[in-house]
Amino acid sequence: MNERATLATPEQRSYAAPPAVTARDLTKVYGAAHAGVRALDGVSLEFTRGEFTAIMGPSGSGKSTLMHCLAGLDSATSGSVLLGGTDITRLGSRQLTLLRRDRIGFIFQSFNLLPMLTAEQNILLPSRIAKRTVDRSRFDHIVNVVGLTDRLDHTPSKLSGGQQQRVAVARALLNEPEVVYADEPTGNLDSRSGAEVLAFLRDSARDLHQTVVMVTHDPVAAAYADRVVFLRDGRLVGEIRQPDAETVLNCLVRLEG
Amino acid sequence: MLRTTLAGLRMHKGRLVTTALAIILGVTFVSGTLVFTGTLNESFNAQVKGSADGFAAIVLPDNDQGDGSEPTLLSQRTLDDIAALPEVTEAGGVIRGDTPLLDTEGRVVGNLPTAGVSVGDSTRYSAAEGELPADADEVALATGSARETGHGIGDEVQILDHEGAEHTFTVTGLVDFGVGSEFSFTGAVAFDETTAKEMTGVDGLSEINVTGAQGTTDEAVTEAVAAVAGDAEVLTGQEFGQRLAENAGADSQVLTMALMLFALIAMFVASIVIYNTFAILLAQRQRETALLRCVGAGRGQVFRGALLEAVIIGAVSSAVGVLAGIGVGYAGFAIGGETLGATVSSTSVVIGPAVVVAGLAVGTVMTVLAMLVPAIRSTRVPPLAALRTSATAQGLEQGIGWVRIAGGVALFLLAAALVRWAMALSSSGPSEHGLLVVTLGGFAAFLGVFVLGPLLVRAIVAALGAPMRKLGAAGALAADNTRRSPKRAATAMIALTVGAALITGYSVISASMESTITDQLERQFPVDYTITPQFDTETGEGIPPAVAGRLEDSPAIATVITERTAYTGGGEARTDLPVSAYYGGAVGTDVGASLKSGDLSDLAPGKVVVAEVYAEGRDVGATFTVPTEQGERDFEIAAVTAGTDGLWGVTMDPDDFATYFPDATDAQSVSVRAADGAEDDEVHDAVYAAVEDDPTLQVMSTAQLKNEITDFLDTAFLVIAAMLGLSVLIAVFGIANTMALSVLERTRESALLRAMGLAKGQLSRMLSMEAVLLCLIGAVLGVGLGVVFGWAAGTVVLSDLLLTVPVARIALLIAVAVLAGLLASVLPARTAGRTSITGALASE
Ligand SMILES: Nc1ncnc2c1ncn2[C@@H]1O[C@H](COP(=O)(O)OP(=O)(O)OP(=O)(O)O)[C@@H](O)[C@H]1O
Ligand SMILES: [Mg+2]
Repeated sequence: MNERATLATPEQRSYAAPPAVTARDLTKVYGAAHAGVRALDGVSLEFTRGEFTAIMGPSGSGKSTLMHCLAGLDSATSGSVLLGGTDITRLGSRQLTLLRRDRIGFIFQSFNLLPMLTAEQNILLPSRIAKRTVDRSRFDHIVNVVGLTDRLDHTPSKLSGGQQQRVAVARALLNEPEVVYADEPTGNLDSRSGAEVLAFLRDSARDLHQTVVMVTHDPVAAAYADRVVFLRDGRLVGEIRQPDAETVLNCLVRLEG
Repeated sequence: MLRTTLAGLRMHKGRLVTTALAIILGVTFVSGTLVFTGTLNESFNAQVKGSADGFAAIVLPDNDQGDGSEPTLLSQRTLDDIAALPEVTEAGGVIRGDTPLLDTEGRVVGNLPTAGVSVGDSTRYSAAEGELPADADEVALATGSARETGHGIGDEVQILDHEGAEHTFTVTGLVDFGVGSEFSFTGAVAFDETTAKEMTGVDGLSEINVTGAQGTTDEAVTEAVAAVAGDAEVLTGQEFGQRLAENAGADSQVLTMALMLFALIAMFVASIVIYNTFAILLAQRQRETALLRCVGAGRGQVFRGALLEAVIIGAVSSAVGVLAGIGVGYAGFAIGGETLGATVSSTSVVIGPAVVVAGLAVGTVMTVLAMLVPAIRSTRVPPLAALRTSATAQGLEQGIGWVRIAGGVALFLLAAALVRWAMALSSSGPSEHGLLVVTLGGFAAFLGVFVLGPLLVRAIVAALGAPMRKLGAAGALAADNTRRSPKRAATAMIALTVGAALITGYSVISASMESTITDQLERQFPVDYTITPQFDTETGEGIPPAVAGRLEDSPAIATVITERTAYTGGGEARTDLPVSAYYGGAVGTDVGASLKSGDLSDLAPGKVVVAEVYAEGRDVGATFTVPTEQGERDFEIAAVTAGTDGLWGVTMDPDDFATYFPDATDAQSVSVRAADGAEDDEVHDAVYAAVEDDPTLQVMSTAQLKNEITDFLDTAFLVIAAMLGLSVLIAVFGIANTMALSVLERTRESALLRAMGLAKGQLSRMLSMEAVLLCLIGAVLGVGLGVVFGWAAGTVVLSDLLLTVPVARIALLIAVAVLAGLLASVLPARTAGRTSITGALASE
């Protein structure tokens, strides 16, 4: 609890109520408007601050597309995305770049790290890009929690897949972004390494009030989340709070069936 | 395999564009050179042959007398005898002598007297423009003489006859005597026969042109002529034309060699670029190759596939290069041919099969050779590599590479040893062997840089890393990116090193030469004007004493120094010992020279200054015997000079000279120094007024000479830099290509960086800095090599070289390198900026 007090920003304490991210009627059409693929079809969603949400759904259901639109990596065809008070669908590409840099963290399935940089340099890279001074105690704390203290000067090629993902997690969390997006962060990991990464994401949400949105195919991974939302054919088709692996699996089977 | 190769080529054609461009540029240069020089040669041949082909026989004086004396001219009787032969319709004799042409200022043109030649219908020279002279007051000028003096048809010109009297003629036409003719150095004016005889005072013929009778073969005519011509040499018109063509060819051969040398350098740089491209491409395709191996392709098949690719790319690009070369070669001839003395309008472009074959062969073979190593490496890819992720940062894992360091250091030591050897070779004077050894040393050092390249790149980037990091994320990433594949970076930049080293080397030599010559001029001739007689083997007259008198009277001139020289039988080994004395100025202060030992100002009656070659080991204080007109006399040596400039024989006190050589009263040179405060124009006018009555005297202004030397060296530098510029261009293509391929390879990384908030501007700045860094390293290494070996070559070729590093030119070169880096990164940066983040993230 001490940690929370020192690490949470005043902002986070005073605005506990409003959602960190809100999507309203998001639609994304690839190709021509009529004939094109409706990857997202009117999705409305809220992500509460400090909540760990998993997005699930069959392959091609639009999970990655949703995440990219939420993160300002891709532009939606219609609808809006609010990050804090900002409508990111109205921002130009330059402002989006700054927004991603300063307010969002990313973890991808693979190839998260620059091969020529050490683990430490990779973790510090976003701060470097933003020319931000790094809170050294927060850095040490995060590195310690993800268990990378003695791996900091290794290049990615000398790290295991799990270690690499933990570096990515540390990097995403270091700047206290308003939201962390993770696209299948454990997709390439064995179950033990995956569990470590997931536990860390869960703890960061719980202890640091970090909002986390994760796309996953794995019911066990989804069970770490506070909430699971289900997508099918670009539409929101279900939601489970405080999930466990079994209910998630059942839900998926029903969806695909 | 063919189908796979072709499909691969089609898919990757974007990646091969710059490689193809490198090959095309190299081949264009090679075949352009061949077309250019071929056409030029053809034009020269047509010119010289055309003048002789129409005659059945050409009779020349027998110049093989064995004793090296002037050939006896052909007599009028021989001409009459030949003309009387039944096989001969007409025979014309050519009179040739000295008839100095005056320029618009009334001074003779050139260092050698202009030749006077008789022309007419029965001899082989015809007018290129206008008419041949037909009257006693008409003259035709050689095209070169007309260009030099600025005279044209219709102008009046002054020409001196053999007695030095001035005559005025009207120019009726221009005669093209052809490249490599005996008139190349002297220039020529053409008169009708009678006038030529009067002007030259020559009684005899230098050549007889014979026209055969109808129905008689040239051989028969030649035979008949030879029977009556006595000792004279008789050739058919064809044979004579052949001989002229050979002379002309010798002239253009030097040009061909020089151009070819530059073309080969360009090809060499292109092959480095090609090697690097293929090495990168095949490394990127490692997984594809491994997959092929997984599905059963053998090593041989993989190798043949790569080879086939090289052959296709090489052949197609070479074909384009040959076509471009034909265009460039002809354009070059059309633009530059006239300056070199060719007649452009009447010559059609010469495209032998050799041009096409050579162009195609050079381009293809070079491409295949450059690809050999990467291709062999690709056969070593194990099938299992398909399952591994490709290593995009292999360089980071590499160790220090002790073998590399050992090899590189050994090569540098070898280079240093070679340079020292060259210095030793040339310590006693300029040496050609020394230059060769320096060149070898340059090669060794270049190889050393090549071997150490990856390590050098790592070291330099490590050193530059800290300041680059200060420039922000883009700078830091650029430094890290350059470090990740140092081999690639090294090969890319070393292509630039070649051009940069050669340009710097030449500019160091050129600048050092300029400052050395200027310094020598200032030291050895601290004078403003020097007057010398025109070099003329026949008269050998000096400068009339009146000239010096007039100069001394002029208020604009402070000092007049006259040099008198007598040649006398000298020493044991030398037969011709020049003995000089200077009047009006002191040796040591007014007349200088490079010294070996002693002091020039010690010269006094009873003493001499001797050049090293004549001193034969004797040093200051020793006795030197001079065979004077009064018999042998002993002198004490006051100083020994190098003999390369200023004082090159024996120099004695003026009083001694007057005593021992009373007959040598003519001045061999008169030098003047302007009075303080005299205007340049005043001095010029005073000097020219003093020599007005003697138009054959040569007036040299030290300032003008310096300008001429500077102009000449500057022009030479520009030409050579332009020729090497192509190599630099090819190297920049190579760097652009390396950047483009890296960007493709790093699409995922760029997307990641962009997702994390790296702005497009920062991304392209990162790439620009990478390219600039490569160009800078390449250029700086080149400059380093160039300065060292330029100095070494200069020292070996020129004694007493004053090393001058042309800072401005080098700075310009580096600025160009930075600019080239920026340009090289434009397209890759655009590609990187345009790639969609989500698309790149999706493609694994
Ligand atoms: N760039 C694109 N152009 C056209 N269609 C696209 C594009 N990207 C995605 N799609 C389509 O949009 C739909 C949703 O794709 P998305 O990648 O969001 O699926 P996903 O749920 O992430 O699938 P997976 O679980 O396989 O990663 C799919 O039908 C896909 O074919
Ligand atoms: Mg997906």
